[in-house]
Formats: sequence, C-alpha cells, structure tokens
Amino acid sequence: MTTAADSNAQPQGAHYLDIVDAVKTYDGVRRAVDGVSLAIPKGEFVTFLGPSGSGKTTTLMMIAGFEEPSAGDIRLDGRSLVSIAPHRRNIGMVFQNYALFPHMTAADNVAFPLRMRGVERAGQQRRAAAALDTVGLASMANRHPRELSGGQQQRVALARALVFEPDVLLLDEPLGALDKNLREQMQVEIRHLHRSLGITTIFVTHDQTEAMTMSDRIAVFNNGRIEQFAPPLEVYARPATQFVGGFVGDSNFLDVVVSDPARGIVGSSTLGELNTAPSALAGGTAARLMVRPESFRIDAGSDAPEGRWNRCSVRIEGSVNYGDSVLVMGRAGEIPIRLRLSGSDAMPLREGDTVRVRWRPEDSSLLAR
Amino acid sequence: MGAISASAPAQAPIAASRWARRWLPWMLLAPVLVYLAVFYLVPLAIVIVSSVTDPSPSLSHYRDFFTDSFYLRVLSRTFATSLIVTICCLVLAYPLAYAMARREDTLVVAMLTVVALTFWTSFLVRTYAWMVILGNRGPVTALFRMVGWDPPPEILFTRFSSTLAMVHILLPFMVMALYSVMKKIDPALLRAAQNLGASPGRTFRHVYFPLSAPGVVNGCTMVFILCLGFYVTPVLLGSPREQMLAGLIGSQIEELLDFGEASAMAVVLLLVTLGLVALYNRFVGIDTLWG
Amino acid sequence: MTAQRRIDPLTWLILAFIAAPLLIVVPMSFSTAPSLEFPPPAWGFNYYRAFFSDSRWLQPLLNSFIIALGAAALTMLLVIPASFAMVRHRFHGRALTNLMLLLPLMAPHIVIALGYYSYFGSLHLTQTYAGVILAHTCLSVPMVFLTLSAALKGFDRNLERAGANLGASPLRVFRHVTFPVLRPAFVVAALFAFVQSFDETVVALFISGRDAATLPRKIFDAMRTEADPVVAVVSTLLLAAVIAGVIGSRLWQRRRKRVNALAFAMQ
Repeated sequence: MTTAADSNAQPQGAHYLDIVDAVKTYDGVRRAVDGVSLAIPKGEFVTFLGPSGSGKTTTLMMIAGFEEPSAGDIRLDGRSLVSIAPHRRNIGMVFQNYALFPHMTAADNVAFPLRMRGVERAGQQRRAAAALDTVGLASMANRHPRELSGGQQQRVALARALVFEPDVLLLDEPLGALDKNLREQMQVEIRHLHRSLGITTIFVTHDQTEAMTMSDRIAVFNNGRIEQFAPPLEVYARPATQFVGGFVGDSNFLDVVVSDPARGIVGSSTLGELNTAPSALAGGTAARLMVRPESFRIDAGSDAPEGRWNRCSVRIEGSVNYGDSVLVMGRAGEIPIRLRLSGSDAMPLREGDTVRVRWRPEDSSLLAR
Repeated sequence: MGAISASAPAQAPIAASRWARRWLPWMLLAPVLVYLAVFYLVPLAIVIVSSVTDPSPSLSHYRDFFTDSFYLRVLSRTFATSLIVTICCLVLAYPLAYAMARREDTLVVAMLTVVALTFWTSFLVRTYAWMVILGNRGPVTALFRMVGWDPPPEILFTRFSSTLAMVHILLPFMVMALYSVMKKIDPALLRAAQNLGASPGRTFRHVYFPLSAPGVVNGCTMVFILCLGFYVTPVLLGSPREQMLAGLIGSQIEELLDFGEASAMAVVLLLVTLGLVALYNRFVGIDTLWG
Repeated sequence: MTAQRRIDPLTWLILAFIAAPLLIVVPMSFSTAPSLEFPPPAWGFNYYRAFFSDSRWLQPLLNSFIIALGAAALTMLLVIPASFAMVRHRFHGRALTNLMLLLPLMAPHIVIALGYYSYFGSLHLTQTYAGVILAHTCLSVPMVFLTLSAALKGFDRNLERAGANLGASPLRVFRHVTFPVLRPAFVVAALFAFVQSFDETVVALFISGRDAATLPRKIFDAMRTEADPVVAVVSTLLLAAVIAGVIGSRLWQRRRKRVNALAFAMQ
C-alpha cells in the first residue's frame, strides 16, 4: 500500500508543466483549490478526476489563465505563467460546451487563432483545412456550428485548439454531452491524437471510466486537494486514501486494527485475523481494509491453493445481474460485503444462502482511518 | 518560499488591474448617469420645486388640490377609470392569452403577429381609429340609425368613448404579460392534477389560475399605471367636462398657464405612480415586470 | 389539458376587437369626402395627394425621422457601456443605479413634459431638434437598457474565453466575438428606441413647437382641430410600416430556421 506522500513523489526527469502549491479562494475563507502541486513531464496525458466542486476545473482555469491563483505558481517550461494574460499563453483549450463562434463557419473558427497570430490568409486556410481533415470534417468546413451535430462540433473545437500547435492541451469535460457510443469513440480519437502529436494534455472529468481508459496518470481531486497522482492501475489497485478507494471503482471497507505491521497482519473484530501486505502503519493503529468486490473467489474448501488466503462466510441478501458478471450483496457478520462473481459462479446461489469466499492479501489495501 | 517569491512580480500588474476593475463599472456608467442627471432629474426637480415655489413659496397648490371638490373628483375619476380599464383588459385578455398559450402551431404565430402589430402601432393611430368608428358619421352611429334609434346618442367625446379606446389600446400589454407567464406553465402539472382526481374546472381553479397569477399581477399593475398617466386618448376622445388627471395637468398649462398648479398635480400623479411601483417591487420585485 | 383543434368563438371575438378597429383607417384614407363619414361616400386618392404635397405634413414627417435617428443613436451610445457594467460587474449601488436607469419608464410622460417645458424653455432648447432629441433619449434609455441587458445575460461567456485562449486581446475579443454575436440584439434595441421616439406624443406636444414639430404632434393637432381624413392617410402609412416590419421579421426568422433545418438534414 502507498501513502499520499509516496504517490505524489515527483518522477525524475524534466517537468514541463509545474503547478506549485496553487491556492484559490474567493472569499478568503473557503479554499476552492487548497495547495495543489503537480509536476507533469512533457507529452504526458494527465486526467483531473473528482466530484463537482473538488477544484479540478478551477485548477484547469488557473492554467488557462481565466482564474488567478490566490497563492502559488504555475510554470510552463520553467517560466511562470501567472502574470501572462490568457491570450498570450499559447495553450489550447476545449471548453465544456465547445464555445464555437456561432457567427463563423467551422473553417473560420479553426482559422481564428492563426488570424490572431498574424498568419496570412492563404496559410490560414491551408492549415485550417488540414486541421479539419485530421478530425475527419474536411467536408463540413463551410458549415456554421448550428448546422453541426454535437459530435461534429466537438471535433471542430478540437481542431481549433490544436491548429496553432500549442504547448499544452486542456480539455474541460468535453465528452459530457455525447451519448455513450459517441463518447467511447471520441475517447479513442483523443487518445490517438495525443499519441500522434505528443502534446502535453490535461483532461478534466468526473467519469472514472474515462480517466482509467485514457490517462498516463490520474490526479484524484477532493475538496481542493489532490489525494493521489499516479497511473490508473495504481490508483485502482493501491488507492492512497479511503476517498480514492471509494471514488474509483466499487469497494468494501472493513474496520481493522494493525497487529503485526512487519508480517502484515491486522485484526478485525468480526472476521478475526486477516493477512495483508506488510504495512508502514504502526502497530495498534486503527485502519481500514479495502477489498474490491471482484477480488473475491468462491472457497470450495476442497481445493487448497498456494499462499496465504483470507477467508470468510457471507450471508447473501440480494444480487444484481449485469450480464457479464453478478454483483452479490450480503453480510459477513454485521459488515455489508459486495462480491462480484462470474455468472457461472453465481448461478447456484440463492438469497439466504451462506457462501464461503476467499481473497488474496495482495488484493487488499490498508488505509489510515 | 520559492513559489511565493515567484509570484511576487505578478503582484504589480494584478494590483493595477484591480484598481481598474473597481472603477471600470463606474466609468462605463458615468455617461448615461450624468446624462440622466442633467436631462432628466433636473427637469423633474424643477417640477417638484415649482409646485411649492410658483408663484410664491407655499403649499397652497396642494391645499387647493386636496380640498377643492373639483380636483378630488378628477382624481377619483382617474382612479375609477383606471380600475375599470384594468378589469376590462383582464377579462378580455385572459381567455385570449389562455387560448394562445395552449397551442404551438402556425395559428398561434399568426395570432401573436396580430397582437404584436397592434402593440407596435402608435396610440394616436389607434385613437384616431376609434374617432372614426364612434364619430357621428361612423359605422356605430349608422348602426344605431338602422335599428331605429334616431337621433343616435352622442358616444364620442364621452367618458365611455375614452374608456373604450383605452381598453383597446392597453389590451395588448395585458395579453403579452399574461401570455409570457402562461407559456411557461408546464402542461405536465395539469395532467398530474387530473391524474390525481381533479376535474378540469378544479384543475383550473387550484392549479392553472394560481400559476398564472404572476402574469395577472404584472399585467394589471402595468395597465393600471399606464392608465393613470394616460394623456393622449382621454384628451382626444374624452369629455372636456370630465377630464382625467393627465389631461387636467395639460390644460392647466395650455389654458391657464398656471405652472405651479400643474406642477403640484404632476407631483401627486408622480408620487402615486412611483408608490404603486414601489409596492409592486416590495411584493414581487421589479425585474419580473419585464418577464 | 390537450390542445384543442378549434378555437372557441370568444377568442376570435376578442382578437377581432383587437385588430378590426385598426383596419378601419385604411378604407377611410381612400375617402374623398371632407368629413369622417364611414363608409366613405366616394373613393379616390385625394387625400394621399393632399398629404404628399403638403409641406405642413411632410416637414413633421422628416423632423420625426431625424429626431428618432438622433435619439436612437444617442441612446445606444450611452446605454451600451452601461449595460455591460450592470450585467458583468458587481458593485455597491447597483440596485440604485438600476432604479435610475428605469425611472423614465415609470414616470408618466406628462410629468416630465412639464419639466422640459420649463427647463428647455429657459435653455432655449424648445422648438429645436436638439431639445427633442435630448428628451427622447432619456425616455428611450430604460427600454434599450432592458433589451441589451437581457441579451448580455444570455451571452455565453465561454465564447469570449475561447477568443482570449485562441490569442485575441480583450479589444479584439470584443470586435471579433462579442459584437458580432450581439449584433441582432443591438439592432432590436436601436429599433425600439427609434420607434419609441417616432411615436412619442406628449413630450413632443410641449417642446417641439412649430419649428421642430414631430409627426405625432401634427397628428394630435389635426385630430383636435380638423378631424380631417388626411389623418387616415398618415395612419394607414404608419400601419403599413408596422405591418411590413412585423411580418418581415417573422418571415426572416422562419427563413433562418428553415435554412438550418435543411442544412442539418443534409448531413
């Protein structure tokens, strides 16, 4: 398991985009952003993930220059951005509602940043056409935004944000208004664009699936702070805090006390002694053990697999069939437990049955309470 | 420490822009506010001051106004007429607005166009139309003659003709005020009421009418206030012996050249109007008057 | 309640009450009789000819145009920055300022007409274009302010942020983004101011005099003294202008919607 400090350790290497202890407060009392620090190397795809009001959009706005940090600094390639006006930051941004200029055609929208930078007419048209071609909308160049569907508008917004080859690309929950299939398609396309351009990208979303599938690293925001900044698998398997564990994916939490930190043994009042990985918490500490529903296996008793397994009995109270898996809800003693089993494993189980399950110590995370 | 000192040079431009930000709204507002002060508040003040200083400093004009039965009759007549006009407008406008609000088709667009048309036509043109209609050589008189009423009654230049014309002129205001509120009533609410057991009549009484009430209040307030200060139509179509307040103010100036007296009456009219607006604002809020 | 197919006769009656009286001025204008006899005993273009050849009518018509243009322009100049200030900034005294800007709409015209009569009289501004323009501007401020603030409130600030993000300085953002998008609202507001000034009667009666007599003033005098069918001609012309305006704007809106629907369907 990792602690918050470990997860935020700066990776070795050049930091392209540096957010240093950024704070934002509107009334001097409540902090929308409460000391956020991030070091992002060039070309990385970072997702800001968190619930509404967690500070992720405010932080993004500070990078773009539409909000001024109350304290702290934001640096791009070593130089501070804070005193630079938004229109001089050379950062590409896709807004939540796309913000396409309604009185201009798609081509004019995309050419706008080039026009602002003094590119001559022919160059504007050529590069705008190329950008629209990259997102597959060459034929829509002369349409106005109101004549385009949501997905097409989104692509125009992307083309417009990239045509002037910015240093950083910011995306503020751009896929929220699209239906499921279109959203998944756009996720793939954005990822593809990122790989081919190698541009440092920050993507804001509250959808954890999006964060998991698209990012190199995820910054999980809560109450204006970053609780974990790590690659998706680590955030999922080794959440740094209870919030991260609960926000990303489904989880079970058990109250335990650390008995033997060196050997990784904790005690639960209901389930007795349980095995986990060796922990950094001191003996006697009250902690929470997190186990994901899919980590459980049916314990048939007859097969005794290698290694230390934890076992318990769960009394089944209900289930939900998802087709590709079954979520079984029940109790171990008084503790509510959720199990995710395969359809075939779950088939013989009925409400009121008691099923014996097991899980591996490595499949659990120990978090400070 | 490093982070804080890195942001220090940024403080200077931020401080400058903060100053500009504080004064910017006032700089943008200065032209119109100064203009209104010089060209609106000053003449208004002149009226108020004259009412107590012309021809000599005293409250005599106000005393006259509130003791002389002639003036009091004018005042009560103005209020009564405004009330009648408001009620008539409400009674006529409600069914029309109701019918329009329930539909979405081209017919409603046509009806709205017609209402908009009359809304945009000047008061004078509409007053003239009534002058023709109610004149002693017009269609109404001809109708009277046809049914045998000869000589037909004089209906022009009476309180009736001016009231009728005012109802016609102010009706579009009431229709628009009602329509804009009725349009926003969610039909799902009415379906829910019926589903829960309310007959159409009770649905109207307990659900629709209360929801349309803001429009009723808006419209009535607007029409009543407009009627109180109405000059053109009562002067052109009304009886010269039964004047309303605005017309009386005008004739004080034109015929009697008594500026002080006229100013006092104008101040009374102004205070009543502003008082009603303030009352409305207290209970409803002035922003909703414009929908 | 489901929408009915039919509209009941009461609604038609009320609608007729609203619309019909207006229509009477049209046939009246083609009368050749010297009185307001209706139906007209004889038809002809007499009074149209009389109107278009009489400088006592044409001059006020011209005056009204000039004054309305001046008032509209001045009002827009004053109110555009003011509405930006009111909608986009928070500051002390905002409620009071709001009241000030709406005051001319709330006070009856006769009251301020009295004030102008004395004030402009002493400033020698009565019977001048300038005087009427200055007065009408005050009266137009509230309506233009309401129209512009409504448009500004509905304006998507993200468009301006996008403009800035893409490299436009604040001034260029206004020029390339804010103004073009708000232009329709600006046009409507200016139109409101123009029509309001063109039709304004009470104040014009007191201060426009003979030299700067506005059309409404002339109509008012004519109605008071002559009850002449020439007024029917003016009324018809004004009515025709309003009809052209209202129907024109409806058709234009319909055309825009059709273009969009067609373009969308072609994808």
